[in-house]
Amino acid sequence: MNGTVRRVCLALIGVLYVVSVPWYREGGEAPAIWLGLPDWVAVSVLCYVGVAILNAFAWTATEVDDELPEDEASSLDGGTQR
Amino acid sequence: MNFGIVGVVALVVYLLALIGVAELARRAKQDHSPADHFLAGRSLGAFVLFLTLYATAYSGNSLLGYPGRAYRDGYSFVMATGFMMSIIVVFHALVPKLRPLSVRHHFVTPGDYVRLRFSGPWAKTLRLVIAVLMTLALANFLLAQLKAMGDVASVVTGGIVPYEAGVIGLACVILFYETRGGMRAVAWTDAAQGIAMLVGLMALLVWLLGESGGLEAITRAVAEKAPEKVATPSARMNANWFSSIALMGLASVLYPQAIQRVFAAESGHALRRSFAGMTFMPLATTLIVTLIGVAAIARFDIESAVDTDGVVPMLLAEWGAAGGFATAAALIVFLGALSAIMSTADSCLLSLGSLLSRDLLGAEGTDAAATRLGKRLAAVVLLATIPFALARELTLWRLIELKMELLVQCVPAFLIALHWPGLKTGPALSGIVAGTLFSVTLTFSDVTRLGGVHVGLVGCGVNIVVACLLSLLVRERADPASSGQPKC
Repeated sequence: MNGTVRRVCLALIGVLYVVSVPWYREGGEAPAIWLGLPDWVAVSVLCYVGVAILNAFAWTATEVDDELPEDEASSLDGGTQR
Repeated sequence: MNFGIVGVVALVVYLLALIGVAELARRAKQDHSPADHFLAGRSLGAFVLFLTLYATAYSGNSLLGYPGRAYRDGYSFVMATGFMMSIIVVFHALVPKLRPLSVRHHFVTPGDYVRLRFSGPWAKTLRLVIAVLMTLALANFLLAQLKAMGDVASVVTGGIVPYEAGVIGLACVILFYETRGGMRAVAWTDAAQGIAMLVGLMALLVWLLGESGGLEAITRAVAEKAPEKVATPSARMNANWFSSIALMGLASVLYPQAIQRVFAAESGHALRRSFAGMTFMPLATTLIVTLIGVAAIARFDIESAVDTDGVVPMLLAEWGAAGGFATAAALIVFLGALSAIMSTADSCLLSLGSLLSRDLLGAEGTDAAATRLGKRLAAVVLLATIPFALARELTLWRLIELKMELLVQCVPAFLIALHWPGLKTGPALSGIVAGTLFSVTLTFSDVTRLGGVHVGLVGCGVNIVVACLLSLLVRERADPASSGQPKC
């Protein structure tokens, strides 16, 4: 379940990053002012707020172990490549 | 307006406090091993870890270079909030895999992972090349901090402490507390420095908004004075925006001092909580310094790119001129800025010591002699960097870009190697050499972007293609291939 939450959050973060850059607007346009900012800047800031919230969720759902999983640990112990 | 003797007194009190923390950290030492000195005995809890990650990530570049860049580019520098946040996103690819390995194998430096992961005749060369790239990037970062320290010390004391004395004097203080207290001193001072930086920036923004009549008034004033700085960016600028997000995200997670904090955490749980908090800090820091730089467009006329790094000191001087509370508040912001710079410099220096002794010179011991060697090498690097810091013609932003172009070439050896067991030693080395030669050659030819994309990022693409294709095509003896994890 945690893995799914994490993957969904990371996918949405990717989408927000794409939307945060105003590639869909004509360069050099004089913008409207929204929330005290040029509209394209306000959109970017809102996207980054969304990224921060989703990333915090993703980290909460991430398992950061202090020990290797059993199968990986046993393969390490059996390896003598060096 | 300057702070004169009050500034000198505040600076001295602040430096004495740092020295006191170093002494406390020295007394808290468990032993004289490299793990205790360079990683605080792997004992950093979530709160200190969060603040030390924060103070280390946000530096002189963030406090002085970024507002200068926002002053020059206008609102398009909001991209900085995105690329600083991308660092915490990219850490997802590093931390869950690297942390358990670091605990099991007692890693001290990034090179310890490379030593474990890669084998065969080219393994030592690969480790050395990575160590050289990381050392150059760190020395570059350290240089930027020394320059910023000199600037701030000079301004905060109204010139009583000249730039040159600021660089040399503060470098000596950092060397003292880093040598005495190691990572504990660095992390504890980082924690206090992080809080000072955050409070200082918030206070400056609140004053600036009040003084300018609010955010909308600032935007309208900038639109009137320099309409191109509020206009939508060009296609080339948008390409640069995407490129910056990718470059900064990929390269910054490979800072040795960042990787070493992954090793120094007391637990994976502490790391997870720290990163969950860190993801909000670009909104509380980078966005604020961007707005500060933009607000300065309407207030000042600065011609020289180098001088734009002085936007924050100029604003603080203006704020402090009001006297009374404003002077005290501006002084605190200055010390917050100095804190940010020194906290990054001390982390660079600590990492440099361990990197040079273990990864470049191969001193892999766990005894006091290995620790001493690391301390001495850090001192040598610091002394060698000071003369470069006394030359002031480069802007801080250019320094950041140079180090990122080198650091990003280490991506396959960490981010790909952790996830793909098929990456082999010789191909990984070939990729790094190809990517680095590509990036450095173009940079020395004064080509920093290709269609708006950083040459370092394009070089990283070349690097990855070479490393992966050769790994698929070439048979190599003695490489781990089955579990996705290294053999030892």
